[in-house]
Amino acid sequence: MASEEKQHGSGSVEPGDTSQRVGMEVIRERGGDPEEIREKLIDAIGAEFTTYYYYTNLRTHLAGNEDYKEITEDARLEDRAHFELVMPRVYELDGMIPNDIRDFADRASCPDANLPEDPTPENILEVLLEAERCAIRTWSEVCDMTRECDPRTYDMAQRILQEEMDHEAWFIELLSMERDGEVNPAGHFVRGEPGDAPYSKNNPFNESA
Amino acid sequence: MGETTYSVEIVVPEDADSERAGEVVEIEVGEEEYVLAAARNEGLWLPADCQQGWCTTCAAELLEGEVDQSDAKRYYEVDDDEDMTLICTAKPRSDLRIRSHQHREMLEHRAEYDKPPGKSKLG
Ligand code: FES
Repeated sequence: MASEEKQHGSGSVEPGDTSQRVGMEVIRERGGDPEEIREKLIDAIGAEFTTYYYYTNLRTHLAGNEDYKEITEDARLEDRAHFELVMPRVYELDGMIPNDIRDFADRASCPDANLPEDPTPENILEVLLEAERCAIRTWSEVCDMTRECDPRTYDMAQRILQEEMDHEAWFIELLSMERDGEVNPAGHFVRGEPGDAPYSKNNPFNESA
Repeated sequence: MGETTYSVEIVVPEDADSERAGEVVEIEVGEEEYVLAAARNEGLWLPADCQQGWCTTCAAELLEGEVDQSDAKRYYEVDDDEDMTLICTAKPRSDLRIRSHQHREMLEHRAEYDKPPGKSKLG
């Protein structure tokens, strides 16, 4: 009897078949496209990774503005945490990050957060703010792609989105004061320790995340 | 005096992943507005991601007219030569007719000219 032969059968994947992944087929069965999600994730974590790099330079040019520096450090470390959180998901979806880091940077879904030509605190804060806004758009896109079909990726994306929205609020507050002398509260303050990442590290998928 | 506005016809391809596939949607876009934002405000949901003229998700083909693409973070002469536009950062400079949902075509075009994001997204 077929059911006896296939006691652990799952959909179209033969028992013991390691060439296919039920974790991908369940997404397909629900109308999602696991390959498309995976490729989007590579672009999105490319942006987290490049931002981690570029924020290093931005942070080092904020000397004398220790509060700005601390918040930039928070955002920098949390962006790295986002890369770490989602990277394993790329492999679970049968992919890999590009072998060549240049390919990875080129396909990042957000612009390079270069140090501005005139690196005043105001100009640096504007770069930081626009980088965070790009990240908000990207992770909202990932949420849209996965909401109905891929709860695991959706959970990661929405947790990252929470932190990116915090970051936007921080940089709106700081830029408003620095540039316009206006109080425009974020409504919350920086983390206990830089890089706390309370949403993306509260349920880490691996020890390094 | 009000801002100058232009009429923009958006041809949504038959095979587009959109509720409006196969339609031609006409909207008004101000000279200081981006085509993507104007379309979304008019209820036409077009694909986008960064909205900074970088990622190419919003790519469209410019069938008629002229745009100012100077706010895009990554836009090349070869894009202009081939009438490819990034509508997230494109402001109209005349009435326009564009074909939306050209991300794949844009990726192939960029790969052909060895421009970012290159070949790695084409699999
Ligand atoms: S949405 Fe990224 S280039 Fe337009």
